Amino acid sequence: MIKHLFKLIWNKKKENFLLISEILISFLVIFAVFSSITYNYLNYREPAGFKYDDVWMADLGSPVQGENKDSVMLVFANLKNALKGMPKVRDVSLSSNNVPFSSSMMGSGVEYGHVNIQSDMYRVDKDFAKVLQMKMQSGRWFNETDRNPVYLPVVLNAAAAMALTGSANAVGKLVKMEHQTLRVIGVADNLKDKSDFKTTSPGIYTLIDTSSIRGINTMLIKVSANADARFEDQMYRLIAGTTRAHNLQVAHLSEMRTKKNKEIIVPMVILLIISGFLIFNVALGLFGVLWYNISKRRSEIGLRRALGATAAGVSGQLLGEALVLATFSLIIGSFFAVQFPLLHVYDLPAGVYMIALLLSVLFIYLLVIVCALYPGKQAAAIHPAVALHED
Amino acid sequence: MIQLNNIEKVYRTDTIETQALNNISLHVQKGEFLSIMGPSGCGKSTLLNLMGLLDVPSKGDILIDQQVTQNMADTKMARFRNSRIGFIFQSYHLINDLQVLDNVELPLLYRKSTAKERRELATEALVKVGLGNRIKHFPTQLSGGQRQRVAIARAIVGRPQIILADEPTGNLDSAMGDEIMNILLDLNKTDGTTIVMVTHDANMAERTHRLVRLFDGSQVQ
Ligand SMILES: Nc1ncnc2c1ncn2[C@@H]1O[C@H](COP(=O)(O)OP(=O)(O)OP(=O)(O)O)[C@@H](O)[C@H]1O
Ligand SMILES: [Mg+2]
Repeated sequence: MIKHLFKLIWNKKKENFLLISEILISFLVIFAVFSSITYNYLNYREPAGFKYDDVWMADLGSPVQGENKDSVMLVFANLKNALKGMPKVRDVSLSSNNVPFSSSMMGSGVEYGHVNIQSDMYRVDKDFAKVLQMKMQSGRWFNETDRNPVYLPVVLNAAAAMALTGSANAVGKLVKMEHQTLRVIGVADNLKDKSDFKTTSPGIYTLIDTSSIRGINTMLIKVSANADARFEDQMYRLIAGTTRAHNLQVAHLSEMRTKKNKEIIVPMVILLIISGFLIFNVALGLFGVLWYNISKRRSEIGLRRALGATAAGVSGQLLGEALVLATFSLIIGSFFAVQFPLLHVYDLPAGVYMIALLLSVLFIYLLVIVCALYPGKQAAAIHPAVALHED
Repeated sequence: MIQLNNIEKVYRTDTIETQALNNISLHVQKGEFLSIMGPSGCGKSTLLNLMGLLDVPSKGDILIDQQVTQNMADTKMARFRNSRIGFIFQSYHLINDLQVLDNVELPLLYRKSTAKERRELATEALVKVGLGNRIKHFPTQLSGGQRQRVAIARAIVGRPQIILADEPTGNLDSAMGDEIMNILLDLNKTDGTTIVMVTHDANMAERTHRLVRLFDGSQVQ
């Protein structure tokens, strides 16, 4: 029977061309949508690697003024102590302003042997890991012993360690960054710190010292769960008083996260709505063509009934034809679709495309089945004598 | 073999009601070759459609091989049509998108058979009607008479016990008509196939066992 359907469709390829291309186009659109959904979903499923609840960011707006680097260091040390003295503050860390869910980025080339990667760079202090409750994969985070080392200590995130040293343990290795030689003392879990939907790129953490203190104007503060607006106000006044910052801003990481997520979710929803309309149109077209096919082929259907096809057989045949048509489209479509991973058109993992391809194929078959169901039922109701009488 | 009891067929459209058949009772014996004659529009095709289970009577009942066909389940009815009845339609009803061979194979497609069997049987049937050299043609590439012969090949390919032929020679010249008539006679004699044939040709009717005349939906002889 399948061979029969193929023959029938092949012999009518001119009439079916339009339908095949329509299904093909919707397949490609669906494939794009599913690729993007799959990619974002897989990223979303990755663990965050840190805790952002009850973490506040204080942005001083401009660097702290001071006679020299040491006096600036002192201002921050005093501020940290004062903050830690507050009842609802758990931990405080200085940070470069590319804190999680911020829009700032800072990067640098990092070298290990012949490997040269572009990496995010974070300047932090020894309490940073505690504030964000980061986890180490191997080695350790910064501590007091890192004061005057031979080589400046750095911590890599897992992505950077993988990119630089592969499967070998990165701890203890010497890497080069900005003409300095640095020693890797630990590898931390990846922080999904750009958005819930973005993968972590390689990252390298360095300790803030007198050479970099001038550029620092951001703090992360872990507070207790019952810290309220009144407390935020107290804290604001303390920081503003100590640093004489004019543009001090306090924001909650959880709110910053929501904002960052929206940057992905909103275009995604728009894409879904647009493609939804498109698919709806294609479905209507498909439905119409199948419907038209049946009214045009009433006498053929009547004939088949007369020759011994059952009612179920007739609607099955129409469904089968629609599926064969869809298969033609899907074969052509898949040929295009597999070019994306093969030619590395976008920088997405091949697995994403494969999942999207599978989902799109299933979706199209489902769509075709749904569209063919009612016309098929209609065809089954055709009485052979009446149909044969018409032409 | 085919038994019609007090058959009535009324066609209703929005505007008119046509009494196509009126109180027909007819018994076609197994192995009989019956012909039906009558003026155009008297209900010959309607009668044949009812015998072939393509339509249901408005009144009366139809027995085929002693089985009541009223209220028969769809699958059983389909199997009945497929295995017992070969239909030759007045206007051929070939599928133009299929080659001649595929058209003739159609009835076999709806029963258990292998592709090879179908091919062999269909080719054999086509050779029998003198179209062995046209199997790869499409119906639109054939003459009217050739199409009629394809329709005949399709009717006989499944070796049915009953053949219902609606003017099978109507579109053929007399030589070709004779040939088709010989095929039918031969099927009737050697295979014992029961045949009911509608014809306008008295000479053809003469060569069959019995003649039924219809006039205006009623049996007159
Ligand atoms: N589906 C239908 N709907 C309405 N009327 C019909 C239908 N089929 C047949 N008729 C009517 O029933 C009557 C019998 O038609 P039928 O086709 O049986 O005639 P026929 O004897 O085969 O004629 P012909 O020799 O021209 O083929 C005609 O009056 C016809 O108009
Ligand atoms: Mg007729």
